[in-house]
Amino acid sequence: MLQVTDVKRMFHAGDIKVLAVNGVSFQVDQGQFASIVGQSGSGKTTLMNLLGGLDKPTEGRIEIDGKDIAKMHDHSLIGYRSKQIGFVFQSYNLVPNLTAMENVMLPMEAAKVSVRKRKERAVELLRAVEFTDDQMKRKPGKLSGGQQQRVAIARALANKPSLMLADEPTGNLDSQTGQMIFDLLKGLAQSQRTTVIMVTHDLSMARQADVMFQLKDGKFIEEEG
Amino acid sequence: MNVVTRGMRNAFRNATRTLSIVIILGLSIGLSLVMLIAHQAVQSKIAATNSSIGNTVSILPLGGGSILSAGGTLLKTSDLNRVKSLAHVTYVNELLSDRVQPQGTNDRGVPNAPQRYDGTTSLKSPFTVVCNGGTCSGDGRTIVCLPSNGCSNGHPPSNFSLSIPLVGTTDPTNPSNIDASSITITSGNAIDGSKDTNDAMVSQAIAQKNNLRVSSTFTAYNKTLTVSAIFTSDTQDGNQTIIVSLPTEQRLTGATGEITSATATVDSLENLSATVRAISNALYSLADVTSDVDQANAALQPLDSVKNISLYSLIGAVAAGMVIILLTMVMIVRERKREIGVFKAIGFSTIHIMFQFMAEALTLTLFGMVIGVLVGVFGGNPVTNTLVNTASSSGGSVGKGDALGLSTIQNIHAQIGWSIILYGLAAAVIIALVGSALASFFISKVRPAEALRSE
Repeated sequence: MLQVTDVKRMFHAGDIKVLAVNGVSFQVDQGQFASIVGQSGSGKTTLMNLLGGLDKPTEGRIEIDGKDIAKMHDHSLIGYRSKQIGFVFQSYNLVPNLTAMENVMLPMEAAKVSVRKRKERAVELLRAVEFTDDQMKRKPGKLSGGQQQRVAIARALANKPSLMLADEPTGNLDSQTGQMIFDLLKGLAQSQRTTVIMVTHDLSMARQADVMFQLKDGKFIEEEG
Repeated sequence: MNVVTRGMRNAFRNATRTLSIVIILGLSIGLSLVMLIAHQAVQSKIAATNSSIGNTVSILPLGGGSILSAGGTLLKTSDLNRVKSLAHVTYVNELLSDRVQPQGTNDRGVPNAPQRYDGTTSLKSPFTVVCNGGTCSGDGRTIVCLPSNGCSNGHPPSNFSLSIPLVGTTDPTNPSNIDASSITITSGNAIDGSKDTNDAMVSQAIAQKNNLRVSSTFTAYNKTLTVSAIFTSDTQDGNQTIIVSLPTEQRLTGATGEITSATATVDSLENLSATVRAISNALYSLADVTSDVDQANAALQPLDSVKNISLYSLIGAVAAGMVIILLTMVMIVRERKREIGVFKAIGFSTIHIMFQFMAEALTLTLFGMVIGVLVGVFGGNPVTNTLVNTASSSGGSVGKGDALGLSTIQNIHAQIGWSIILYGLAAAVIIALVGSALASFFISKVRPAEALRSE
């Protein structure tokens, strides 16, 4: 499903060139739950941005179901991202003046899904993450961290993406809530047949994935499956 | 929810900021509308005044009155020959104006005032004074009739009568002779202004008051005159006038070869100013020479400054509105950079996000427009009048402009109609679109990867 071949990303900081991702290659199959673990500054977020088409690699190929997104035009990438890729962020990144329901409906609006179907899907997903009808109408400011992350997960799954990218989804949560979120992600990935790649610095959580990659200085140093 | 409704909701995310922006924008738009109203009102007044200006030159005896019975120096017909020979002068209308008193009456309005025996007429004046508390007015006259000057009941004595204007002219059907803009002969034939006859044209009001028909006779200056035509006009002055030929009036009054005023017609407006100077030179020390253009320019000069002030203020206010919304939207975009990154990450195009922010800008501006229109509607007239009155009192003069109604130039009424509301709406839309354009440019430059790293 996801094939990454010798991907590099170089940044220029004045006269200094920084290789944030330095020749990463790996493969993840459809429906697999993969984790990428590494210390701060190892290049995890940069790699996630490349996998999600939010950034372009300096070299290499990133193929999702055979499509090299590294070569796609920005305009085409926007449409591809809305339908095929879902994002879960560490700081949730919900729109603060929209309700939980409206936040989950956002990606479907970008994908031009009808209003009725948006609402139906949003309700289905929020129920799947154990939200009550009352909670669905609340804005993020009235939800706990764990609840917000559940909304973010529901949002990421709105358009039934083939790939979900979760960048430190439990980073701002306590261990108990974090484990709950992780279990939710894993369960939904299996039930929705979505490939999930989760970035974390928590080794114990990372080992619970189907396959784990260790990233250091922009390179994979270890793979455990 | 769609992009427009989301944008509109976003306009109210921060209530305090929204209120501040709406008020400031409202004042800016309101000022734009007030200046637009003032500009339009002044332009309309200037255009109306200019359109009423004829290509004529007024000639009055220097220091003299314009009515024979008022006394003072007169012009001589022979002096006018110098004017008639000037280039661009196509015609000269000569007038000898007087007022005749109905026999057995006086126009002093107090008891025991002496009667006039010269310049009398057998006709009765069709107009009377209207009295209120001892002050009586009519035909431009004001008479105070109190016990202190012998009046017993606040009304003039029974032998009071207003006098009747009588004009001798070389152009009997010219309405300007009787301070009117139209003269219509309802029966009979017009007289020949160059011939000395005993024929007269009388107004319909005089004819009705005195039971006159065509061929009826009456006396003036102790001579019998015959009604050759009855006419109506569009002014009260015109509707109580007798018109005879100039030679006739000169004979009847003994003012042979003399006139009280003249009007020279110039071939075009372009030559008017030069011809005025030429006539002034030709009649140096004999006459006051003015044209409508000179009078209009003197009266309109303060309005020109108001027109410019209002135009510059309008431009400034609209520009201020654009700057306000532009800075506001730039601030909002920078504040929501991360959110923009999320929108791009989940698949919204740059255009989509720009529309959302433009909807937000338009919402803020439309609410500002509501305040602005109220400011414009209630402030338009007072501000216009204040500007005009201030400009008029600090410079320019009305002078002899009353003949054109220029003394009413200060009474400008600003028209506030639906067009002003539509202008306000157009201004609001332009302000919102231009103001959010730069913010949209910033949006287009946001890279999701960088935006998601920002705080």
